[in-house]
Amino acid sequence: MFREENTEPGDLIQGTLEMLVLKALARGPLHGYAVAEWIHQTSQQLLKVEEGALYPALHRLELRGLLSATWGASENNRRAKFYQLTAEGKKRLNAESSRWARLSAAVAFVMQAT
Amino acid sequence: MSVNMNEFLGRTKSLLRKRRMNREMAEELEFHQSLLRQRLMREGLSQSQANAAARRTFGSTARWHERLRELWQFRTLENLFRDITFSIRLLKKSPGFTVIALLTLALGVGANTAVFSLVNSLLLRPLSIPHGDELAVIGMDRGNPDLIYSFPIPFFRALESKHDIFREAFAFFSEGMQVRGQSANEDIPGALVSGNYFDALQTPPILGRYLTPADDRPGGSPAGLAAVISEGFWQSWFNRSPNVIGSRLTIANTAFTVVGVMPKRFIGADPLHRPSIFVPLSSEPIIDAPQDMTQSGIHSWWLTVMARRQPGVSLEQVNAALTPISMPIIRETMNDPPQAALLEQAHFHFVAEPGARGFAYIRAFFRKPLVALFCMCGGIFLLACLNLASLLMARGAARERELATRLAMGATRRRLIQQLLIESLLLAVAGTAIGLAIAPLVSQSLATMLLSGGSADAVSPDTSLDLRVLTFAAISALLSTAIIGLIPAIHATSGSLNEHIKDGQQAAGPRRRNRLQPIMLASEVALALILVVGAGLLATSLFRLFTSGAGFNPKGVVNIALSMEKQPLDGDALMRLYQQFGEGLSHQPGVTSVSFARIIPLTHFIWDEDHSRSGGAAHDLYLNAVGPSYFQTMSIPIYQGREFRWNDTVSSGRKIIINQAAANLLFPNQNPLGQHLLQGEKKKDFEIVAVVGDAKYDNLRTIAPAAAYIPITQFEDKKPSFYAVIKTTGPIAPLAATARALTTRLAPDIPAPALTTMESIVENSISTERVMAMLSVFFAGCALLVTGIGLYGTLAYNTSRRTSEIGIRMALGAKRSGVVALVFRSNAVIAACGLAAGLAAALAASRALSSFLYETSPRDPWIIISAALSLAIIAGIASLFPAIRAARIEPIAAIRCE
Repeated sequence: MFREENTEPGDLIQGTLEMLVLKALARGPLHGYAVAEWIHQTSQQLLKVEEGALYPALHRLELRGLLSATWGASENNRRAKFYQLTAEGKKRLNAESSRWARLSAAVAFVMQAT
Repeated sequence: MSVNMNEFLGRTKSLLRKRRMNREMAEELEFHQSLLRQRLMREGLSQSQANAAARRTFGSTARWHERLRELWQFRTLENLFRDITFSIRLLKKSPGFTVIALLTLALGVGANTAVFSLVNSLLLRPLSIPHGDELAVIGMDRGNPDLIYSFPIPFFRALESKHDIFREAFAFFSEGMQVRGQSANEDIPGALVSGNYFDALQTPPILGRYLTPADDRPGGSPAGLAAVISEGFWQSWFNRSPNVIGSRLTIANTAFTVVGVMPKRFIGADPLHRPSIFVPLSSEPIIDAPQDMTQSGIHSWWLTVMARRQPGVSLEQVNAALTPISMPIIRETMNDPPQAALLEQAHFHFVAEPGARGFAYIRAFFRKPLVALFCMCGGIFLLACLNLASLLMARGAARERELATRLAMGATRRRLIQQLLIESLLLAVAGTAIGLAIAPLVSQSLATMLLSGGSADAVSPDTSLDLRVLTFAAISALLSTAIIGLIPAIHATSGSLNEHIKDGQQAAGPRRRNRLQPIMLASEVALALILVVGAGLLATSLFRLFTSGAGFNPKGVVNIALSMEKQPLDGDALMRLYQQFGEGLSHQPGVTSVSFARIIPLTHFIWDEDHSRSGGAAHDLYLNAVGPSYFQTMSIPIYQGREFRWNDTVSSGRKIIINQAAANLLFPNQNPLGQHLLQGEKKKDFEIVAVVGDAKYDNLRTIAPAAAYIPITQFEDKKPSFYAVIKTTGPIAPLAATARALTTRLAPDIPAPALTTMESIVENSISTERVMAMLSVFFAGCALLVTGIGLYGTLAYNTSRRTSEIGIRMALGAKRSGVVALVFRSNAVIAACGLAAGLAAALAASRALSSFLYETSPRDPWIIISAALSLAIIAGIASLFPAIRAARIEPIAAIRCE
């Protein structure tokens, strides 16, 4: 059903981006711009989320029911689409976090081998 | 699982709210861009620089939307929509083809569905009662191939008490009942039902109670005679008053108490009748008075018997239990050892058959005509589909290059077939919808035309659309899609790409032979021939039936039914009433003579008795009781002797008139006038006073039987009902008013006299043949037309594609006549093959028609030859035009085309 997303060099790989988006929303509802900002800031300006990848990811997660969306007022009082984790989304975030922890530890073991 | 579900729901939602989705996407994008611009400007960029940067980040808006939308949509579904709109556009581009296709399909599906819904209502539809599959129809097997379904009361009463075999056995008989209305009695459709009838049919009344075995006793229950009425009757007679229970209804001059009202959906166990009143079987002597079939017991075979089986007991078990009790019942009730011995020899036994569909006597008559009609309809439908398929194939061929290009560009074959199929599916669905819309109308009028002559009493089949009919329509739509879509689609997308792309108007190269098309055209010709032969046979038979003559002249003859059973007069006083009635009518303008008859010819009533000369062998003669100047009124020739007179009473000696066939049978080479005949078991002595011409008796199909007539003044019923038979040269309508006025004056109690014309009776008596002949001729005409169009269309198309080839041939010296022959030949071969195949099939199939034919052989060579000839002519004409056009091709112009 899904088309493989075109991944350009420098982009975050898709699964990881989705995990980051879920994580960004773990603290409460945010709109798309804020999600990108949060990831950018929290990663110490190391990760830059391309808009061309962010929105398809958000919509894909919404379509799968991991996120729910509501329209509300932004900080500057404009209508904006806010995304929020659903119960399903929280479950997925937990699963992804532990998977990531295992994976990064494993990669670290390999890279630190002498 | 739930993720998939979510996706599905989300996509469905987006499908329904496409516009809102697009708006929201745009808004979300705009919001993000404005925040981005603000940040960039905060970082020190100018407004225009910030705008440019934001645009760069996002790229094209359209592409952004496209990416998001792709996420949300069903790809297959959207493709489907695209195909549908594309197909609609294509169909719109060729409105002529579309209209022809739609009309053909609508007619095909409409006619088929109409006939099927008739078949459904008459032959297939089960009764709408709980656990109908437990019902059984009881018949009697006397060793003949045909079972008997009419029971005498004693047989039924004996079966009714066999509770170990059936849960309930019940009997019923539909007949009109005279109910006292405001001024006179009215004829209301009713049913005599045995005590267990309602118990067995398990439908609760909407008001009061239904009849029980306690009501089915002579004189009714201690509370008196009970009657149950239908919801419709409750509406029309009691205005749905809730106080109807306990009210009086005077039926056959006797008070009945209404005890219950049955719901509208309950129509009893005969699917073709709608009784308004149900009364206990035991009240038969009252309802039928002065006749009494209960009294005549074993000699009156009239009841329909059905039963409900115990749950879990199979039909085989019931039959096994019925056989051993059959002969004991016969011996016990018949009290006629020689007759019983005869029956025992014939292995007489009762038989239970599946009864979920109830029992309708008329079914036996209409099964075959309906099935034949159904086959004809199916044939014409198949023909229409084949024709459309070959037209679509030609269209497909015209699009060969387009399709090949699409294939070359990477479209899958499946995708192309899907698009082509959708095109035909659209046609089929639209055609079916139109067909379904007209089907109820058609089936209703078909029912009236077909059934009006089948039985004296009105039947009302329910031809409304139900699930079965709709399923049938859906299947025919699918089938037609498959034929008209799949064959051309597969064909059009097969073959090598290369050839298709090169293929165009070119003359070069070996032509890709289209093997399917000639086969389809030939089978069209064959099918059409079968239909034309069938129509020819039926029409010839009908013509012979009409011209064979009835033996009487129906022109200007009018019958008026008079029901005298429930009025006070009898004997000579009643005869005087008839005489006065006749005189009253004879003074009307245009009336040339008036008489009376017990039985109107061709209405399927038979009264027969054995007649013999003293000491001679007995011969069965059909009988009628007729009044003075009957033969003059009916224009039946009197060869010798005189008409009856009003003073031919029993005291003046019994008189009889025989027809020529009876004279030949009983008095070969002798003068029968003045001779005596002994009638029936009691050997009543009659003197022959006249010999008259032969006339058809119960139907037109069989030859006029040997018959005899007795005067109505010597008819032995106490209060006999006769038809007034009137010959008039004037208008008929005033007669009805006169008859009404006369009965109000002479016999105020009797129901309004019903008037029919003899001509309509003659027509109705062969209505089945007439309708079948009419329809088959119509179908045959359609078949000829469709086949002609098919042959012409494909040949014209094929020829136009060979324009340059023909041009080259002519440039190289081919004569015009040679070109005509070349083009003509291809169709001639197809037509000849089709005719040969059709001829063989028609010869095989025509035997099935033989039972519908009157003095016509199903293999009548003239009919078959002329049918084949007419098809050959049509095929010839259809092929000649394209051939002539081909011969007019200018070689130079044709070659330049390339």
